[in-house]
Amino acid sequence: MLKKRIFMVMVIGLAVLITYAPLMAAETIKIGFHAPLTGFAASDGKSASEGAKLAAEQINAKGGVNGKMIELVIYDDQAKPAQAIPIANKLIGQDKVAIGVSGSYSGATRSAAGVFQEAKIPYISAYAIHPDITRAGDYVFRTSFLGEVQGRGGAKLVGDTLGKKRVVMITLQNDFGKSLAAGFKSAADKFGITITNEYQYSMKDRQFGSIVAKVKSDNPEAIYASGYYFTAGPLVKQLRAAGVSVPIIGQEGYDSQKFIEIAGDAAEGVIITTSLDRDSDVPETKDFIAAFEKKAGFKADMVAASGHTAIMVAAEALKKANSTDPRAIRDAVAETDLKVSTGTIKFNKLGEVLKAVQNQIVKGGNWHRHSVIDDPELLAPPAE
Amino acid sequence: MLYLELLIQGIIYGSMYAIIAVGLTLVYGLLRILHVAHAGLFALGGYLGLLITNATGSLLLAMPLAAAGVGLVGMVVYRLCYHPILDRPPYVALIASIGLFIAMEEIYRLVFGPYGLTYNDVPLQSQIAFLGMNLRTAELAIVFGSVILLGTLSYLAQKTRIGVAWKATVDDPQMAASFGIDPLKVRYLNFFIGSGLAAIGGIFISLLSNLVEPTMGGVPSYKALAIIVLGGLGNVTGTLIASLVLGVVEAFGTIYIGHLMDRDAIAFAFLILVLMIRPQGMLSGR
Repeated sequence: MLKKRIFMVMVIGLAVLITYAPLMAAETIKIGFHAPLTGFAASDGKSASEGAKLAAEQINAKGGVNGKMIELVIYDDQAKPAQAIPIANKLIGQDKVAIGVSGSYSGATRSAAGVFQEAKIPYISAYAIHPDITRAGDYVFRTSFLGEVQGRGGAKLVGDTLGKKRVVMITLQNDFGKSLAAGFKSAADKFGITITNEYQYSMKDRQFGSIVAKVKSDNPEAIYASGYYFTAGPLVKQLRAAGVSVPIIGQEGYDSQKFIEIAGDAAEGVIITTSLDRDSDVPETKDFIAAFEKKAGFKADMVAASGHTAIMVAAEALKKANSTDPRAIRDAVAETDLKVSTGTIKFNKLGEVLKAVQNQIVKGGNWHRHSVIDDPELLAPPAE
Repeated sequence: MLYLELLIQGIIYGSMYAIIAVGLTLVYGLLRILHVAHAGLFALGGYLGLLITNATGSLLLAMPLAAAGVGLVGMVVYRLCYHPILDRPPYVALIASIGLFIAMEEIYRLVFGPYGLTYNDVPLQSQIAFLGMNLRTAELAIVFGSVILLGTLSYLAQKTRIGVAWKATVDDPQMAASFGIDPLKVRYLNFFIGSGLAAIGGIFISLLSNLVEPTMGGVPSYKALAIIVLGGLGNVTGTLIASLVLGVVEAFGTIYIGHLMDRDAIAFAFLILVLMIRPQGMLSGR
């Protein structure tokens, strides 16, 4: 009897929901967002989604988009391609989002990009770096650097800015590390860099004793090492503990306060190529850094800034398009010219962004500006 | 010189593997269960050790406390997860164990956050010059700590009543029971000691990387299985030898064939190679 009653209540509830859901939904514009909220990449997923939520709050506080509030629909993809595909289908088919944003890694983003392209719904990758993502088609955009572009920036930093020529590479064996390494190698000649050795490690490695021993015997002038803060922190700590004192150059994967916390004193002097300048005078960047720390309770990093950037770009396009037509929204994204926390976002024909590389150095336990690479020719993303 | 340095790194890796894998092989020897959640207890050891060290400033206090705490949790895991399904086929326990391991990872993430924890001041980081190498005190502590702990364990197994009872139960549970040995007591002891050792392993590793994260059990969860297979399932001496050999193979492998395959691939290629030559493992089980 009781069971039957509960069942009836549920049926009525469901009917009400189905009848009124479209009405309720009409008051907001939905932006789909997927990020790894659980699993090995959960920390980046948290930064990205906090950045995205901050952007949505800021937009809604200013009255939303053309009188409507924006609503983030967030799913956990665990950074897995197999999870990203059903999520993309759900965002498009069930949630009917106006635009999709990836706060995830390359594997998951590549998979979802194909689904969004197929459905002709615009899609923005916040910080996934694989070149094939934007090649999914004309509805796919990226607001961050390609791995290759950043790798070339790294080569300029090492060979030109620092003047170090004999370099050992320590490469993370995934899309991220490999494309950075490819970029670095392609520009090495140009800056007179000789790569004496390259060692590879996997995402799961935290113990680098044998690589450290070998690097020590190689005696290079500088080390170019790709990785995320959770691999780079232990790596840098172990290099310094073994007495390796040459400059270590990293990239945006290091870009987290957590890197400095893990590596401790060993982090001092490490330089990275990234897209968030902590010492920026640009109001968009300064405001973001302050607002993020206030909202999230921890310091802003590259991933958080990228999540924030991508939502800002999406909302601006929705505003400009002032239409629910995906084609109009797509065209508005393509014409983006927006100043945000990570620089000025403008897309080329392929949907890639061209912006300056911010080099940051660890000083006194914090990230600070080291230099800026603003070389449009070196940093040019592919256009097709 | 470089070879010596790589050999020493291999012995350090091997010592860490040994202290983790021994607990696993003890459980397999006694119950024929592949205890994947052992790696979850290893991570718990890392968390407890780090939290106690940060709170009290004493690693020496944190080690026994974390080991005892995780040992007790290991007993609870046995009672709640394995004890009720001992009469089922072994794969039931294996599936339960994998499920438990995933749940533990996510619990750590929810309780301690996704970013991982670090020491306020990492203990044992002073450097010792040794034959022209810079070794950290922590690295020496891992090697000597493992030798002392495993040596003590082996002594206790030979010389004490409960140790003899444990060995008898592993050899022939029914016969041991008929001599008045309580098998349940032996199992609890088994899980207490194995889990406690895993906890020490978790603390050791965190001293090298200064990072305790929810997924830190991920690699041990399958590599320790490879090691106990390599050592001849359930054979403690074989497990110790396999740990050291695998550590050294990985230390050299990551440098000389690292561009072909990553560390895990090297470990498993080595496992396959050994099993092709000796299907029973390096030392056979019983």
